[in-house]
Amino acid sequence: MGQDAFEITINVLKMLVIFLGIVQAVPLLVWLERRGSAFIQNRLGPNRVGPLGLLQLLADAVKFLTKENFVPEKGEWFFYYGAPVMALIPASLAFASIPLSIPIAIEPFEMFGRTFGPYTFIMQGYDLGIGIVFVLGISSLGAYALLMAGWGSGSKYSLLGALRASAQVISYELALSLSLVGILMVYGTFYFTDIVQAQAGPLTFNFLGKSVVIPWLPNWGIFFQPLGALIFFSATFAETNRLPFDLPEAEGELVAGYHTEYGGFKFNLFFIGEYGHMLVASALMATFFFGGYHFPGLTPEGVSAFWSGVVSGANANNILTSLTFLLVLLAKIAFFLWVFIWVRWTLPRFRYDHLMDLGWKTMLPWALFNTVLTAVVMFISHQ
Amino acid sequence: MPILDTALKVGLNHYLYLSAILFAIGMLGILIRRNVIVILMCIELMLNAVNVSFIAFSRYNENLNGQIMVFFVMTVAAAEAAVGLALAVTIFKKFREVNIRFFEHLKG
Amino acid sequence: MLTVNDFLFYLLAAVTFLSGAGVILARNPIHCAFMLVVSMIGIAGIFVTLDAYFIAAVQMIVYAGAVMVLFVMVLMLFDLKHELKAFSKGAISGVLKLLSTGVLLGMLLAYIGYTFSVDPSFKPVPADPQHAMETTKEISSLLFTRYVFGFEVIGVLLLVIAIGAVTLSRISGGTHADS
Repeated sequence: MGQDAFEITINVLKMLVIFLGIVQAVPLLVWLERRGSAFIQNRLGPNRVGPLGLLQLLADAVKFLTKENFVPEKGEWFFYYGAPVMALIPASLAFASIPLSIPIAIEPFEMFGRTFGPYTFIMQGYDLGIGIVFVLGISSLGAYALLMAGWGSGSKYSLLGALRASAQVISYELALSLSLVGILMVYGTFYFTDIVQAQAGPLTFNFLGKSVVIPWLPNWGIFFQPLGALIFFSATFAETNRLPFDLPEAEGELVAGYHTEYGGFKFNLFFIGEYGHMLVASALMATFFFGGYHFPGLTPEGVSAFWSGVVSGANANNILTSLTFLLVLLAKIAFFLWVFIWVRWTLPRFRYDHLMDLGWKTMLPWALFNTVLTAVVMFISHQ
Repeated sequence: MPILDTALKVGLNHYLYLSAILFAIGMLGILIRRNVIVILMCIELMLNAVNVSFIAFSRYNENLNGQIMVFFVMTVAAAEAAVGLALAVTIFKKFREVNIRFFEHLKG
Repeated sequence: MLTVNDFLFYLLAAVTFLSGAGVILARNPIHCAFMLVVSMIGIAGIFVTLDAYFIAAVQMIVYAGAVMVLFVMVLMLFDLKHELKAFSKGAISGVLKLLSTGVLLGMLLAYIGYTFSVDPSFKPVPADPQHAMETTKEISSLLFTRYVFGFEVIGVLLLVIAIGAVTLSRISGGTHADS
């Protein structure tokens, strides 16, 4: 984690900030969802509490916190309380392994009379050599939160909703993993940082032996893997139990599915978990297929030169450059979150057998076909 | 203290001790539990113990064959768990019981 | 002094051992299943301390993420309120079982201890997490060259298992214990 106390402190703070960032993004997301859905449905959303209704979620949070805390009589205490916690863990762990920006290189500086040496802080929680499969493995633990919630509630609606939800989650995990195999083949590495670095600059590919450069398109993954991107994005809808795949939590079907018996703050934690998963899915989509923190036309040297005209000192320059790229990534994530919300309020939901058929009989074969097609195209173009 | 010296530097034998203990726990579970599905779970525990042993040897002999073997063992174990569970569901549908006490005298 | 790797090994070994003991001692089968999940996550951690990063990820995806979810789902479908006895009855046979397991464990531990007292030469090689990808490339090249026959046979095995499981599930009957 670092060679001296300063670096260790900064790294610990960074992990805390990333975790709190997920939790704090949820009120903003819920506000966006309520106002956005109101806009789509031609009505006003919450607009009384605070400017533009932004403090509505604060009021809701206070309301949740002051509700009565109960455990159902036939439920099991450990599973009932452990399920909302379990819902947060995979989302946080997965989000912390995604590179959010270029690493910040800090020159030696003076503080409190001591010189702190040159550091390099990576804008991730931790940097794993097995990035992609780690995220896949951790997100497959998300099914346990559903099962624990369903079982711990001790009611039949919860149990049926949990079984349906977890069956859906493990079915679409397959299509998700297979659609990422195409990206693995194109970029040849598990390492997130390398995948993002390979998407810098203009579109470059090998065609029949010679290298073609198209200067007005960025080198993003979606141009190499369009089918894979489509399958991945649809599979993440199913993984996060969002419409059109949200039969397990639909109100008319199963009361509220696996979180029927939850109220107050535990329900809020489930919400944070679901929106956290959405956040991870958007971040993965941006990282694999849309260039991560790169933007066409922005290079680290160019941005650094721009900021050095504004502020002096190499450290401040590096920090501001890194923050610029972080803003680019956040803009892309916000766009995908808006697409999640937009799709939710546009499409009707699938019936459960249609949902399972779609996962096994449509997405899985298309993901396999995508793998084979990628292999064939790579073989031909690298002749 | 000599025991503290052997404990402090983790070598291959520590991993093998762990593997042996897990294997024995799994075996004890198969012998004393009466629920078919718990017996299947103890079989999975035994297979995992063996996986630990394979990977430990692969690491300390700097040979990747151990990891390949674990790959195969994992796949076969997952397949066997699937079939075992399908059988358990079928048994439950027919007999309404998954306690193996009722299956000690099956004929035919 | 205890290095980080040693401490991690002891922590993960303790977690795995305790949850393994929980698997065989818990009365409710669903508690057994969740203890086994914790045990498998512990074993994935042990694989990480042994530098087998890809295998640890595969363990999480396959075992902790799919096989155990299947176990838990099947257990939740069974109505096991009338689970008569969790452990086998009979004191004599119980003692015999414990004794035999103890003998096996003792033999294994003694054998390992004896081998290592004769040849304590396995030194830990320093680990490098950045070469996880090279290891994965080597594993995949081995799988597709030397072990390709086994790889293809595993594929056929999985196909047969899938067909078998679907066939078994088509036998009619209900899973509700009180109907």
